[in-house]
Amino acid sequence: MIMDLAHRLLQPLLLRFEPAFFHRNRVSLGVFFASFGWFFGLMSFALGDENLGALSHESRNFLNENCLDCHSAVDPAGGLNLEGKLKDATVREDFDTWVRIVDRIAANEMPPKDASQPTMEQKTQVVQDLDGTLKRFQMKQFEEVGRVQGRRLTNLQLERTLQDLLGIDIPLATLMSEEQRTAGFATVANGQSLSHFQLEEHLAVVDAALAEAIRRAVSEPDETEKYLSAEGVARKDPKKRCREPEMIDDLAVVWASRLIFYGRLPVTAAKEDGWYEFKVKVSARKKPESHGVWCTVRSGPCISSAPLLAWVGAFEATDEPQEWTFIAWLPKGHMLEIRPGDTTLKMANFQGGQVGAGEGEPQNVPGISLHGLTMRRIHLGPNNAQIREQLFDTLKIEQFENPNWNGDRKATEPKLIPQLVSESPEADLERMIHRFAERAFRGPISAEISQPFIELGKERLRQSSSLLDALRTGYRAVLCSPRFLYFQESTGELDGYELANRLSYMLWNSMPDHELLKLAENKRLLEECVLLQQVERMLRDPRGANFVRDFAAEWLDLRLIDFTEPDRRLYPSFDIIVQQAMIEETQRCLQEMLDENRSVTELIDSDYTYLNSRLARFYGIKDVEGDAIRRVLLKPEDHRGGLVTQGAILKVTANGTTTSPVIRGVWIGERLMGEHIPPPPQGVPAIEPDIRGATSIRELLAKHRNNEGCAVCHVKIDPPGFALENYDPAGKYRETYATADKKKGSGIKVDSSYEMADGEHFDDVDGFRKILCSKPDKLAKCIAEKWIIVGTGGLPTYSDRDELEKIVERSADNGFGLRSILQAVVCSKIFRHK
Amino acid sequence: MQPLFNISKRLQLSRRAMLRGTGVAIGLPWLSAMESALALTTDESESPRRFVAMTLGLGLLAANLNPSDAGRDYKPSRYLEPLNDLRDQLTVISGTSHPGVSGGHRAEASLLTANPVGSSGRAKNTISIDQFMAKHLGDNTRYSSLVVGSSGTSSPSYTDNGSMVPAIDSPARIFELLFVDDSPSERAKQAERVREGRSIMDLVNDDAKSLSRELGAGDRERLGSYLDSVRELELRLATTQEWAEKPKPKVSMPRPVDIGNPNDFIGRQRLMCSVLKLALETDSTRFVTYHLGGSGGVVPVPGVDEGYHSLSHHGMDEEKLDQLAIVETEIMKAWGDFLRDLKSVGDQGHNLLEQTSILLTSNLGNASSHDNRNMPVVLAGGGFRHGQHLAFDRRNNYPLPNLFVSLLQRIGMETDEFATGKSTMTGLEML
Repeated sequence: MIMDLAHRLLQPLLLRFEPAFFHRNRVSLGVFFASFGWFFGLMSFALGDENLGALSHESRNFLNENCLDCHSAVDPAGGLNLEGKLKDATVREDFDTWVRIVDRIAANEMPPKDASQPTMEQKTQVVQDLDGTLKRFQMKQFEEVGRVQGRRLTNLQLERTLQDLLGIDIPLATLMSEEQRTAGFATVANGQSLSHFQLEEHLAVVDAALAEAIRRAVSEPDETEKYLSAEGVARKDPKKRCREPEMIDDLAVVWASRLIFYGRLPVTAAKEDGWYEFKVKVSARKKPESHGVWCTVRSGPCISSAPLLAWVGAFEATDEPQEWTFIAWLPKGHMLEIRPGDTTLKMANFQGGQVGAGEGEPQNVPGISLHGLTMRRIHLGPNNAQIREQLFDTLKIEQFENPNWNGDRKATEPKLIPQLVSESPEADLERMIHRFAERAFRGPISAEISQPFIELGKERLRQSSSLLDALRTGYRAVLCSPRFLYFQESTGELDGYELANRLSYMLWNSMPDHELLKLAENKRLLEECVLLQQVERMLRDPRGANFVRDFAAEWLDLRLIDFTEPDRRLYPSFDIIVQQAMIEETQRCLQEMLDENRSVTELIDSDYTYLNSRLARFYGIKDVEGDAIRRVLLKPEDHRGGLVTQGAILKVTANGTTTSPVIRGVWIGERLMGEHIPPPPQGVPAIEPDIRGATSIRELLAKHRNNEGCAVCHVKIDPPGFALENYDPAGKYRETYATADKKKGSGIKVDSSYEMADGEHFDDVDGFRKILCSKPDKLAKCIAEKWIIVGTGGLPTYSDRDELEKIVERSADNGFGLRSILQAVVCSKIFRHK
Repeated sequence: MQPLFNISKRLQLSRRAMLRGTGVAIGLPWLSAMESALALTTDESESPRRFVAMTLGLGLLAANLNPSDAGRDYKPSRYLEPLNDLRDQLTVISGTSHPGVSGGHRAEASLLTANPVGSSGRAKNTISIDQFMAKHLGDNTRYSSLVVGSSGTSSPSYTDNGSMVPAIDSPARIFELLFVDDSPSERAKQAERVREGRSIMDLVNDDAKSLSRELGAGDRERLGSYLDSVRELELRLATTQEWAEKPKPKVSMPRPVDIGNPNDFIGRQRLMCSVLKLALETDSTRFVTYHLGGSGGVVPVPGVDEGYHSLSHHGMDEEKLDQLAIVETEIMKAWGDFLRDLKSVGDQGHNLLEQTSILLTSNLGNASSHDNRNMPVVLAGGGFRHGQHLAFDRRNNYPLPNLFVSLLQRIGMETDEFATGKSTMTGLEML
């Protein structure tokens, strides 16, 4: 779990005592660039033309005259030995070092101010010159081998693809090990790996998926339904102290308390792993005056040796009974727990970890009454008959007596064995495996490609004379093929199928559907208007709702939201209901921006957000009622609006105890502002956060602002971080820092003023947001880059820069609307070429 | 037919691909745990050397771990006090870290590889020391290595191509893999699954080759690593088949019951260690990595009421520091008991502790600030001249990878370097 952490998230406060990036020692520079280097090293063999990438005579002269004094072979400044590089005088090696060189000259950062300066024309000339060399070199590479190679399906994509392909609904990603993420995204091909461990694991995942698909294809529907009255969910023995609800006035009652598993409902324990739908009717008891009783619905084994509970949902019970519907995946034996979950409620105390009937009532705390619930086992997606059709076409199933069955109820062998009925098993096998492979490989395939899979199936058929077994074997092999696991893209412009796959995995994280494949086949998908129509259709499709969720989970680290828990002593009003509402707030805002094509500046500042009554109360925003999340117009005194002021973002950028302007600064810079902040130099001691209240972070950081070396990066890192200091690690607005020692009174006053890298001053987060919103093109470029990553599986490269500018320009016509940016990305050359 | 779960889980245990001819004879599993693993010495010129890495996800408080004075006469620190009877069996090492490695928690990936993965996670990882040993010396045992964890699949073990080796976090499952023979019919079923798995690997091997002819040069390179994995898995399946026919060693310990509470850090540590001791004792494996990754919750020890992860972000808060010290003292005590357990096994003047180098460390020198320098390092057993505090410069750290070179040489590998380690560790002598 700890491995799982994006490093930026909890990175220490790093103060750079060493001069900045280019002044670092050689090793760290090498390490930083090595990451890109291997990628280009890999491809360099493809390039025949020796002159490609060679520096021009003029560039060499410029570097010789202006840079070599410091960047010489002996003790080179920042570890950059230009003298050595000029001997080869080519960008073929260390491409990224050359990119950094051009960028620093172009930004007027090099040569440094205290060195003798070339003329402006000379600088412009050399930048243009080097830029051309770099781009020509890289574009030639891309022509030959493409931007991205060997991209494979991520865990999530594998899960969804297997589900769609087989029609099943069981979770599969939980069977896979954690994958490596690059720049936050699992789909980046350069960071992906496939060891024999993962391959083995994949085999197990495939088997689990096939077992479930075949189970359902050969059996009767397994949907069930039962109704439980209040009495049915309450404790059976009123005299026994336990954690089940107690009966009061014919209703099953659970009081507010911190006791673990109080409110568990053993009658809801699942008989089989599966999806279950619950309709629950509940009213409040002893409701607080100003709001209802917020409750959590969670699931788990609810025994102390396994205390983890999975989130199912939340609701706000009122005096009037209401019915809520929840859907949950329950592994066998897991049950629901329904209880008041609002941490601000007055809580009852119970002795010895159990609750006796009648012990809660006199404590005068809020509670809930369960009126009854309906539990249904359901399936998401196709029913058994449809799965049968998907796997076996029109072949019928027949059950045969198992000769090995010994009549014992505990027998390991089943009584009946299902078999497929076929007149010509070999022909059916051929037809079915070819059909399956074509769907699994997500494009047309020749008979030659499916032949080995068919042969394997036939061999099995000869051995076991069971067509069902033979098909299983064939399907199993198909699902281990690289054609299933990898994207297949050939160099140059993508063909219809390649494009359909990219689009589908970008927007749905799953395989293309029938319509996309049809448009791929007749090549209509290659027409821009058709492509854009498909984007619209796919986002409107129920699967389209995944796009914002999946993307935000990685882009904004929302998948890591519960990695830390805010310190309860310091931030007592935070609870899991608030946390879940925060995630929904961010997702709904992004969804609205995408649906309504809102300007990208609303990521930074907007006059609306999405809240339910609990989150509104946590934020201190008045007049929001009800437990359904809804659009709320914001007033300036609310201090909210835009992602940067949303609880989810503020929480994932803090560690639960303290905030750090450096962590938040780097995060906001990289995720929203498109700053590329180099990794911290090594050997720099970290400042320890100190909550004893003696020193503010501002004071700790202040003395290093004067150090030129530190300043180079920190002028970019610190401003967003300081602007957000008014928000605590739980996402609440604060005027003073919290202190652990309450006796000393409130902490130091928060000062959120600062200045941007270019010197522009802001007083507080409002000022900061104004400055950011004045540069919508920069924000648009940042999100376009992220979409390029999830769309293509490759990080933005040097030669993508011009095309990225075009994407931004194209969306400018529509006020940098989010939907327009997405459309421009999909239509861009980067997305449509390998 | 059941899915291939059993087989696949089994295979998550790292397994050397091939059995060498001689390896089969000396690799025969022990029929009884009562027989000392060290009896092997009669068959081999030297008794087998073993290595156990125990890695902590959340570090150890340096002030409580490192003695204030260096050398052989150091006064035991708070954490070493309960281990003072083992004093001449261990060395505490301060002032070391992996050069170029940073990135806080992310540096967990570099803990046993010493490879500066890069804080942005872009660079590729390299092989970890345990897998390196297992790759070269791991083919004499049923499992070339065991990679286990307290909670979840994360581990600091990496293969040659830089992929993480997933940890198994169920002591019961590991016990089954090591000591419980499957029923004959289950074995027959598994044999069939393995056989089919092998033919599938054969098939996709050819399929990948034909695909790579269709694709460009860059993709070909990537498919190459897929092919490597396919071949490796094929070989491993073959070995599985061979070992599957041999009975597993029998032990007197009953099958353990897993501790469901993920926050019971110490309970899980002790239970896992009891299984690991048996694994070493029966020579089921010689290379073990145990990742003690924290779940974030409250460790059920008296005096502790805040989550472990939250405590590690103590922010110098005294109450948090106190509670953290309680948790960490318990971790150290449990570790000490593991050492004592190993010491109690053996005869003829050799015990398992002397044959096993046990490294306790963490990527975090300071969990509160996520500092990767000044890592906590304690080395026990294995046949080193112990009994000292090797204190290096806390400001200018000594390269820890040099310790890896020492460990590799101790285990019998003729190498002068590992990652950025270019010599053995100064001041640490082999016996």
